[in-house]
Amino acid sequence: MCPSFSALLPSGVTPSNCKLKSIFLLSICCALVFPASASNPSSGTLSPANGSSTTWAGSGVAGATTDETTCVDGTDCDVFTLTLSGSPSNYQGLVLSIKITHSNSLNDYDFYVHKGDLSGPVIASATAGIPETSEFAIIDPTVSGTGVYIVHVVDSTVAPGDPYSGIATITTPPTDSLAHGAVPTYSNYQSPSGLGDSSGEPSIGANFNSGRIMTQAVFDTLQVTFNTSTSPATATWLLVDGPNTNITTLDPILFTDSQTGRTVVSQLFGTTSLSAFTDNDGATYTVSQGGGIASGVDHQTVGGGPFRLCTANQLLATPVPCAQLAARGPLTQYQHAVYYASQDIGDAEMALSQDGGLTYEAAHPMYTLVQCGGLHGHIKVAKSGIVYVPNKSCGSTQGLIVSMDDGLTFAVQPVTTSTPGTADPSVGIGSKGRVYFGYVGGDGHPHIAVSDDQGRSWHYDLDVGVPFAIRNSAFPEVVAGDNDRASFFFLGTPSAGDATGADTGTPFDGVWHGYVATTYDGGKNWFTVDATPTDPVQLGVICTQGTTCPSGTRNLLDFNDITVDQSGRVFTAYTDGCITAACIAKGNNASASHTRLDNDQATKATIIRQSTGKGLFKSQDSTPLRP
Amino acid sequence: MSRAVFLAFLILGHSVFAVGKQPAPQILGLRLGMSYTRAHARLTEIAQFKSQDEGQQVWTLSHDKHYQYVIIGFDRDRNVRYVTAIARPDGQPVSYADVGNLADATRSGGEGNLRYTWKANDKKARLEYLAIAKGKDSRYLNQYAIKRLGVTNEDDEK
Repeated sequence: MCPSFSALLPSGVTPSNCKLKSIFLLSICCALVFPASASNPSSGTLSPANGSSTTWAGSGVAGATTDETTCVDGTDCDVFTLTLSGSPSNYQGLVLSIKITHSNSLNDYDFYVHKGDLSGPVIASATAGIPETSEFAIIDPTVSGTGVYIVHVVDSTVAPGDPYSGIATITTPPTDSLAHGAVPTYSNYQSPSGLGDSSGEPSIGANFNSGRIMTQAVFDTLQVTFNTSTSPATATWLLVDGPNTNITTLDPILFTDSQTGRTVVSQLFGTTSLSAFTDNDGATYTVSQGGGIASGVDHQTVGGGPFRLCTANQLLATPVPCAQLAARGPLTQYQHAVYYASQDIGDAEMALSQDGGLTYEAAHPMYTLVQCGGLHGHIKVAKSGIVYVPNKSCGSTQGLIVSMDDGLTFAVQPVTTSTPGTADPSVGIGSKGRVYFGYVGGDGHPHIAVSDDQGRSWHYDLDVGVPFAIRNSAFPEVVAGDNDRASFFFLGTPSAGDATGADTGTPFDGVWHGYVATTYDGGKNWFTVDATPTDPVQLGVICTQGTTCPSGTRNLLDFNDITVDQSGRVFTAYTDGCITAACIAKGNNASASHTRLDNDQATKATIIRQSTGKGLFKSQDSTPLRP
Repeated sequence: MSRAVFLAFLILGHSVFAVGKQPAPQILGLRLGMSYTRAHARLTEIAQFKSQDEGQQVWTLSHDKHYQYVIIGFDRDRNVRYVTAIARPDGQPVSYADVGNLADATRSGGEGNLRYTWKANDKKARLEYLAIAKGKDSRYLNQYAIKRLGVTNEDDEK
């Protein structure tokens, strides 16, 4: 019975996941048998007094949905309207605490709190997964204001017979707001001599099926296998070039869809790319069309993930838009979307591949230079199929380009807490849609902001370089796992000055290291770790001004990359510009000179591998990471 | 009778004209290959500078009834490499056929994402170029660009 319902299921649901399908089937039956229902009561009011509270009961309807964007109210999500009386100043020293609980640890509810109405900004959310039986969020009314809040409760994975109960309380703030747990540690693995020797702007991906890491370093496509039977693990590097991707390069890109195991390798070549994909980590390749028809000629990016398709409940509620979405769904047995984006002559465009990257449609405009700068960061696709592309300059802020319809149309969302920067920003998407936007601000510092509503509003914008007094940073790269977990890799230096300019005056003096900041609580707190503590990545300037950079300032090119494997372990790929003993010694000598004249100008492929600490998947916490 | 002949002449004449129509290597007086200085002189006549990114500039057109913005990019020799004009949403629409003979263009995309591309040659200036009209509408364009072929982008990589 399960396979016959595949077309109705959300794209994140795999054919083997019959439990979810059963829940879906049941939820459809419930939706048909019972009329749409809401929470009971449907609203409540709180006053600015410690202990003021209101309770409600969920509608008790079951369902399974990826996130807030894929549920249907009254069917697999419901709404409780909460009003805070008085003015914000009345709530000094108080917070609004919202909690929902249920009984069955195999079920998973989430909630999102909007200000004003359901279309208002999401100012808090609670998206912990199985086996938690409660969800909890704190809101500060002195910041978020009083008036109406909408608590949107979503049946993430809920079988019938386990309704939730909710309580909202005005209380004193919790005293504990620090990050807890063991700080992650990291090890560096340099590519062997003769491989990855020219590795500017590397990409990296993890194949969850094979457990291997794939990385691209200009011409070299490398397969990396870690032998974990020894500790610390050893790495075996293998050159696995595609048939047409080691010939010429204007921009190298590698993308691995961790779920399907397909790796796409792309080398920019005019208005398309020389490209091929592999389903066996480079053992064999299929040459592809390369890129979207009539795409731009510069700074391409390839990404992919689930198609955005309607859930069964959405299909019932809104059949016409769902049919339009379905028309952009998979055309072959390959069930995920692949996207190609690039920029040229005043705009940036994206093209969808409905056959796993073999061919692409005509590219669709994402934005023009009137809206954002031409160059963009890399494509990321949420589990719900929403497509994201970050941009370092959209007017007075950085921006996030969002497509809710498989790359047909796009909205530019300003990252309102940011200022424009000089490095391409990066996004990581949590399992339930939380967006982590890592960027280098106008102040040169490494920042990361969080959005729970597809970039319409932002919170927790933090400078994660503070623990190391980072004054300049470059190449921000983000990956997320569970909704509450993400890692942010960047190069940083505590030295002030023009660290990413053309270095035409007095040479910039600074030592760059690679840092990884990790959150386990949705971006409220971050552990920042120097992942290259005894081996600097670069001495002197890292010019981020493209081809206008003078010789000897741009050996690292334009970006690095980060990924996560099936165990939640984080990997980053970076270009090491300082590899000789003399350079490293200077970097470790605080009184030595650290300008580009002291740097090796090397371009050596190197991987950082998380050694210990919690990974990005809570489900793997019971198996601690080993070095 | 004479009126019918006149109409036939008009239609035939228009067709003949359209068949021979090649998109011009200039938009709003901004010609491909034009020097940076001359391009700026022209731009300051018709527009106000808005922003710059990677050497590409956005200008807001002051009084043009068709277009709202013009975007311009230069090559390594600081000559005009491309010009893109963005249609004014509430302005006088420009049809794809206004740009060039559609029979000579390559049509790509589809409903909601149309694109006509002409490959053209300016023999006098000895340059090859593309003219590209894009739009969501089946008849009117949203943006129109001309782009020189065979020149190096200011920002070409590696």
